[in-house]
Amino acid sequence: MSYKIPMGPYHPGLEEPYKLDMICEGETVQDAELHIGFNFRGIEHLAETRNYFQVIALMERVCGICSFIHTLTLCQAMEKLAGLEAPPRAQYIRVVMAELERLHSHVLWAGIAAKLMGFKTMFMTCFALREKVMDVLQAISGNRVNYSMNRVGGVNRDVEDPLALVNMVDDLEREMMRTVIPIFTTSSTARSRCAGIGVLTHEKAISCAVVGPTARASGINQDLRRDAPYAAYAEMKFEVPVEQAGDVRARLFVRALEIIESCRILRQALAGMPSGEIAVGGDKFAFITGTATSRVEAPRGEVMYSVSWKEGSRNPARVHVRTPTYANMPAVRWMVRGARLADTPLIQASIDPCYSCTDR
Amino acid sequence: MTSLENLREKLGTVEPWVESRGTWWLNPGVLSVREVARAMNAVGARFITITAYQLPGAEGFRLEYHWDLDGHLLGLPFVIAGNSTQSIFDLCEAADWIEREIHEEYSIDFTGREYEPLLLRKGDKTGVNLREDPAAPPKPAAPAPGPKEVAQ
Repeated sequence: MSYKIPMGPYHPGLEEPYKLDMICEGETVQDAELHIGFNFRGIEHLAETRNYFQVIALMERVCGICSFIHTLTLCQAMEKLAGLEAPPRAQYIRVVMAELERLHSHVLWAGIAAKLMGFKTMFMTCFALREKVMDVLQAISGNRVNYSMNRVGGVNRDVEDPLALVNMVDDLEREMMRTVIPIFTTSSTARSRCAGIGVLTHEKAISCAVVGPTARASGINQDLRRDAPYAAYAEMKFEVPVEQAGDVRARLFVRALEIIESCRILRQALAGMPSGEIAVGGDKFAFITGTATSRVEAPRGEVMYSVSWKEGSRNPARVHVRTPTYANMPAVRWMVRGARLADTPLIQASIDPCYSCTDR
Repeated sequence: MTSLENLREKLGTVEPWVESRGTWWLNPGVLSVREVARAMNAVGARFITITAYQLPGAEGFRLEYHWDLDGHLLGLPFVIAGNSTQSIFDLCEAADWIEREIHEEYSIDFTGREYEPLLLRKGDKTGVNLREDPAAPPKPAAPAPGPKEVAQ
């Protein structure tokens, strides 16, 4: 006899409002229904009532972890409508901030995954490392979460001494290589909790059009930083890690390898940062009538903004946001099918879901 | 043959791709959105999203469908005069949530599919978030940036 187990909207394994109704037979999940919208904020509607300064601060609040990415994507779209291009130094600073944010997100996720595995020591280790990343972000921007770094035409703050940050990146990488990555990739605890569970097949990943590490862990070789480079990514050398298994362990591997690649990109961006101004365009902008789109590879996958403006207006006519979790979350239904009930918190966490983004 | 030309051949259209601000646009002409979705599946394009715009007055809506093909961002705009258009959910599973969201926010019906439960809110009222009443007075303009905002 089948029965329904609701997980969420308030569940200790989730800690953000979202509901997964699982139809089970015994301990095995047969199917699942997803429910979102518990904290829907109507940010797209609000954006239509904000001027070109306010809308940047508003969209920074779409996500707590990748707040920089959201303003970067928005500003890139607005720059297209204002006919501006951020100067080279600003493009490099954008790469530095985006990669630091990726490190922040991946280490935070690793900590939460460790906690869901019952590996509390690892959780503490990851969160201590995350603090180091946030220290670097704070050293650059003055803020730990919402950095207020992006503006139309560039960035608000310079990186005064880029080479001084290289040591911090080296420290981070050393610690990742010494503890986090070996434990996650070789420990029997991590293997027994992650290998072969929550499988998203390559075919299903294509059908669901998943993005980011979730796609790359199912054998889809896509990354906007390489395929459609923005900011200064065209000048960076890096690999795109791809795994084939499609299980939780593959998603763990992809993120672990991406941490190393992020450190590599950071070192290049800090060492090669050109001199010059960090913003163009002054304080007043003239936007043309039209629509512009922009895409950025966020830690969880592709973010896309469509921004529409009417000439002479101070506020956008329309801002549409497609966040990566919005693309990835429907695939959870296929990941939990056939899984043990006890594995489902870890499976849903393996896509690194952001409910704040989804309920934008 | 590039992937974009290959796609154009699959679509059977003579319209050219037009690049504008980083997006490759194609006027679908007489093609239906389902024909486009089938061609996208055939060339392996990845569905991204649908962006809905309400046209002024009672003119209807413009739905911009976006796919990614080998890193190219594709845009295909469809203007709908009324309140309904064909769903591509059965051809493109990834369009499920965005069709449900647009149905909810603009009260546009995607025919050939069901809508329960609603994605973002409880109840059965639709068109309450982003859809504007053409008879309503225009929205007030956003305030001009103050000196504090400019200074920041």
